[in-house]
Amino acid sequence: MGGEEDDDDEDEEDALVGVVISRMPPPSSIKKEFLKKWLVGLKALSNSRSSSTSKKEMSVLERKKAIKLSADVAMASLKNGTTSWSRALIQNASKDGNNRTLLKSMLGSEYDKKLRIGSTTTSIMCSKGIRNTTVLRRSCGLRRARKISKDQRVRAGLMAKRLVKKRTQVLRSLVPGGEYMDEYSLFEETLDYIMSLRAQVDVMRRLANASAFSSKS
Amino acid sequence: MSGRRSRQSGGGSRISDDQIIDLVSKLQQLIPEIRSRRSEKVSASKVLQETCNYIRNLHREVDDLSERLSQLLATIDTDSPEAAIIRSLIM
Repeated sequence: MGGEEDDDDEDEEDALVGVVISRMPPPSSIKKEFLKKWLVGLKALSNSRSSSTSKKEMSVLERKKAIKLSADVAMASLKNGTTSWSRALIQNASKDGNNRTLLKSMLGSEYDKKLRIGSTTTSIMCSKGIRNTTVLRRSCGLRRARKISKDQRVRAGLMAKRLVKKRTQVLRSLVPGGEYMDEYSLFEETLDYIMSLRAQVDVMRRLANASAFSSKS
Repeated sequence: MSGRRSRQSGGGSRISDDQIIDLVSKLQQLIPEIRSRRSEKVSASKVLQETCNYIRNLHREVDDLSERLSQLLATIDTDSPEAAIIRSLIM
């Protein structure tokens, strides 16, 4: 890895970023940063396998998993450990020994440090599971204008409570690390997680379109 | 743990109703399904349901795009300049 090669890589990388972001509204700097990190992961993965085998020997499924993992980890690492979901995502990824090489190349020296921070916070959060859904329900402004019997009100309230409880559980399973968060943190993390997912999908779609553009149909 | 002033160490009692209301309204604005109907009252369970659906859809998109990219990158046209760039960076 001489200096010349690095310069060439940077030029090509900038060109690729240019290709990917063209033809659509300019993306945020977060998306650009995500793309760069993602490319690091993709490159590292193909390098580890390309010693004796050609790229075609990696199955479509294997490559897909690598692409997806790189994308998820790239987006999570942009958070620099400031959100629970990103820490949980990286922690979960590191549980699989096969991912170690990829994670090391993408996260570098921060890799071990991030893991230690993550486990401490998780154990603290474990004890904070709060299941109070009353405020959540009230905050959505269920104010009925017409009169209904107290009996009906009580029953509707109970059902609403049960629904909210059930759906909050589902949300916990969808957000990385959601099982350990209190209700307030869960919603905060959900907001951030959704924003990140949208950015990730946008960049992945652009790359897919750019790749499709450059292959014969 | 004493002396920590983060929200998460508040134990629930310090989280005001206003903060939760604020969060829920932000969620409402974010979810395309509900956003257009902001003037109507949307129930908490509806917000949660649409949020979960939205996240699931995003997960599926990531999965589909990963699949698509996996196939594209395997069969990329070697003649176009973009292909050369992409291949040298990713392959």
